[in-house]
Amino acid sequence: MGRFWRLVGAVALALFSLMVLAQEEDDPAKEAEKQKKQLLEQSGGILPSDLYVEQGEQLFKAKRGPKNASLEACDFGRGPGKLEGVVGRLPRYFFDTRRVEDLDSRIRTCMIRLQGFKPEEISRSEVVAIAFYIASLSNEQPVVVRPLMPQEKKLYELGERLFYLRAGPRDMGCATCHVTYVGKRAGVLPYSDLLKDKRAASHWPAFRYSNDQAWTMADRIRACYANLGMPAPDFYSEPIIALTLFMNVQANGARMDLPGFIR
Amino acid sequence: MRRIYLLIPLVLLGLALGQTGPSYIDAELQRLIQAGGQSYANSLLKQAPDQALCSIHRNKLPADVLGPFIEAQRQTIKYPADGKLMGDWKQGDAIFNTLARGNCFSCHVGSPRNIGGNVGPSLEKYGQRGTSEAVQKYTYEVIYNTWAYFPCTVMYRFGHGGLLKPEEIAHVVAYLLDPASDFNTKPALKR
Ligand code: HEC
Ligand code: HEC
Repeated sequence: MGRFWRLVGAVALALFSLMVLAQEEDDPAKEAEKQKKQLLEQSGGILPSDLYVEQGEQLFKAKRGPKNASLEACDFGRGPGKLEGVVGRLPRYFFDTRRVEDLDSRIRTCMIRLQGFKPEEISRSEVVAIAFYIASLSNEQPVVVRPLMPQEKKLYELGERLFYLRAGPRDMGCATCHVTYVGKRAGVLPYSDLLKDKRAASHWPAFRYSNDQAWTMADRIRACYANLGMPAPDFYSEPIIALTLFMNVQANGARMDLPGFIR
Repeated sequence: MRRIYLLIPLVLLGLALGQTGPSYIDAELQRLIQAGGQSYANSLLKQAPDQALCSIHRNKLPADVLGPFIEAQRQTIKYPADGKLMGDWKQGDAIFNTLARGNCFSCHVGSPRNIGGNVGPSLEKYGQRGTSEAVQKYTYEVIYNTWAYFPCTVMYRFGHGGLLKPEEIAHVVAYLLDPASDFNTKPALKR
């Protein structure tokens, strides 16, 4: 725990000095790269996402919950306890739950099944930290999400249809911003191209340096709904998994940059 | 033949329930959406037939759908009770430059108060178009129901969606067109 708090101190200091922003780059990827370098220099080589990774590793390995078990036997698709590269292969179908699951919902499944937590006891911040830890073990691995099982094919198709759905008082739909108006800005960041730019889906979960938040893909999707005044789908729910499946397939072949570091 | 007779009452029932428009959300998609929770489902399942058309055609309507679509959007436009399409530009200023109201600056360049985005075309010096009846009407209608001019576009249909009242839209029209408005007398902020 001592090392953890030393890390927290170093990162807090470095983030504070980032507030004095220099001239901002136009390309968000370049800008993020610059910020990352600056932060690494100021903190002596530690990024805020390292804290989440560290915290997530502790949570993953500790014996916890009513069953006093760790998550080390959790199967993310490559077999129990095999964590390397798994993030690039999710969402996928799992025979034990008979559901297609993404990273977040699979962590939750294991907290319930292996550790005995009740669904309402699952802490969101713990799931995010664990997601960061697992993501750190998938860095630079390829995205390989191929819907082959009938359940995966079905959910992919539904995810695609949900992506193009327009609804609500602002006629919200993912494709208007992320397909039709790609590269345009309604704020600081340009709308990214979720169909063609493989980086878009391959750097989640990510740390957002502009507001000091750790987000998984689920948080990102929910924020896009909320920004247009729409109620967001529940965490761990199927619409989130379906959209993630659709978007991750578009990123097939990308080399993952994990945990992501973005504005 | 028997099948068809059985179908007729179903179709009639559909008509009676007002389900005459196209629908995008079939039983499977509906089940998926419901899995997202009550309030999520409530808002998505209320999809209107025109939103369904944009979804079906992925925001690019084919020629045969386009004409009737635009005509139907035109029909939805309502005007202020007093018939005046240009209101008070100062009230329009507040609407244009507030994120939770018009949020116009986020997508358009032109405001002297906020740095504009480039999702929509620049509205800089919009007032140079004059204040003729035709310009007022066009500007009012684009804001009331954008889809009457740009079907399925990203800009919200402010009047149609109930985001702004007709009188409020008239204030925004004045902010854009009134020669005395800050929008036309002060320089636009740009990135
Ligand atoms: C009004 C425009 C808008 C709509 C509609 C919208 N988003 Fe976004 N989205 C944004 C903005 C702005 C960002 C942050 C900049 C960026 O990365 O694109 C973003 C970011 C994202 C990202 C991260 C991309 C990256 O490169 O890191 C994903 C994934 C995403 N949105 C998914 C969705 C999904 C799924 C939907 C539909 C449920 C949706 N968005 C609807 C504006 C929108
Ligand atoms: C989400 C982004 C967005 C928002 C918010 C938005 N617009 Fe637009 N607006 C657009 C786009 C995009 C177009 C062009 C439509 C097209 O080409 O599909 C447009 C078109 C227009 C036009 C017609 C431009 C011309 O040259 O004839 C006007 C006028 C306009 N908008 C005014 C407004 C006003 C006033 C508001 C706020 C009440 C507003 N817009 C809010 C995106 C937006």
